[in-house]
Amino acid sequence: MSEYAIQASGLSKRYGINTALLDLNLEISSGEVFGLLGHNGAGKTTTVNLLTTLLEPTAGQVVINGINAAEYPNEVRRVIGYLPENVQFYDNLTTMENLRFFARLSGLTKPDIRIREVLEYLDFNDHDHERVGSFSKGMRQRVGIAQAILHAPSVLFLDEPTSGLDPEGVHQLRDVIVRLNQELSMSVFMNTHLLSEVTKTCTSIGILRKGELAYHDSLTATLEAFPREESLESIYLQIESAGIR
Amino acid sequence: MKRALAISRHELVSLRREKLPQVLLMVFILMVSVSGLIGWLTNTTVSSVWTEATQTGLTQAPNPFENVSPLYYSRNTVIYLVLIGALMAIVVGVTSTMRDRKARTIDLVLSRPISVVEYLLGKTIGVAIFLAAALVATGLISWVSISFIVGKPLGFQDTARLMGFFGIALIFLMAFVLLGMISGVYASRETTALLIPISLWSITAFVLPQIGTSANPVSLLNPVPKVSVPGGAFDALNTILGPLSVTEQFKGASGWLLSNPEATGDFTTSIFVVVIAASLGMLTLLLTRRDRIRGALND
Repeated sequence: MSEYAIQASGLSKRYGINTALLDLNLEISSGEVFGLLGHNGAGKTTTVNLLTTLLEPTAGQVVINGINAAEYPNEVRRVIGYLPENVQFYDNLTTMENLRFFARLSGLTKPDIRIREVLEYLDFNDHDHERVGSFSKGMRQRVGIAQAILHAPSVLFLDEPTSGLDPEGVHQLRDVIVRLNQELSMSVFMNTHLLSEVTKTCTSIGILRKGELAYHDSLTATLEAFPREESLESIYLQIESAGIR
Repeated sequence: MKRALAISRHELVSLRREKLPQVLLMVFILMVSVSGLIGWLTNTTVSSVWTEATQTGLTQAPNPFENVSPLYYSRNTVIYLVLIGALMAIVVGVTSTMRDRKARTIDLVLSRPISVVEYLLGKTIGVAIFLAAALVATGLISWVSISFIVGKPLGFQDTARLMGFFGIALIFLMAFVLLGMISGVYASRETTALLIPISLWSITAFVLPQIGTSANPVSLLNPVPKVSVPGGAFDALNTILGPLSVTEQFKGASGWLLSNPEATGDFTTSIFVVVIAASLGMLTLLLTRRDRIRGALND
């Protein structure tokens, strides 16, 4: 395993005259749970799309687990799991059929045993033959996590994983993320704007402001650096307004 | 290739669950079955009129069905393929490439180790299997109904011609599937994705064959050859634009395969045009860029 799960250097993405991400330099060690914070439109989703090879950067490079994404995109895709914001599935197919499809795409030849293992791990095996179209947001999110970890990736990318979930759903998902990190040693990169989620799950944080990384440090160091602030929320607001790096 | 096959399997499962392709398929199979019935009714009616006429001494002409090839009864199938079959192919093609864009599952697919070529090839193979199964079913219905009409099983040569016809039909339908798939990838709205290939189909099936001929739209709905208007300009136009009408070329090749004495055109050229149309569609589709497939819809 590489020392770093994620390395981005000089990473930029422009759409015509608009800059979505500018000169992102970031190193996330293996085994970390990293939370990327930022306002809506700060460039969080663009960052995840670049790191997961869904988008090609205008400049810079991405290295995942020691693999250069520009040179070996399919190798990178083999070692990552991805849960997009508002994950969608084929509604007229069952959980099992959806997961079987994604498992085969990940190269699993006999996927059913692995799917059952994963569904049991996520405590979702009672819904394997139900059509995904009838699922609540929380249930979809579970299937989303299942499809992301089917091939046992070493780095997991989660884009706003708790968006739209009720408090119980948020709690359950947070628990799953911590378990995946601690029990299965998965490095996690998570986009979020929920600071409570970051406090309870992340080991390091980054703050993105208008496409630029305004701050990056471990959660412990961050809390120690702002001893007078009562919560991560006030720290976040202070960093956002001051533009501290 | 393993991943392309995974896409094909998924395509087949999805097509089995979606209503519109299923409805069009049912209509198509029903029309082909009716085509056999129409052939049988035509034969029975004309033969009974001929018997009556000869008995009363009104005519001494031979029965018009006496020397007709048994495959003659399948000639309406050609028109159903050009009309319902091509429309079904377009709908299936558009649905195929629109599905992941519409459901926003495309990012989940592309985050897997799969190339764009594997993805699109897999979809094409899946749809081809779906249409091949439909054509096998309609081929069997045609074989049984023709055998029933003529009162004996079709011979080897006629069976081979019928199989050849359905083989060409698959390539012909794939040309329209690919047109639909390309539209499904590039269009920004679902309605536009359907409208563009349907417009192109109507130009191919109705506009191009009319230019420089005496044909009218109604005659193009019948399995009869179009008549070229003599004269330099008309003839030249027809010579240039004629080959572009894939539907007419398919009708020409089918006429030859189904032993239709009224078949016009050169069989090899007709087959060549149909194959080229499908190949160009395949090439264009496979040249699609990765970011194009991810394009969000404006619906």
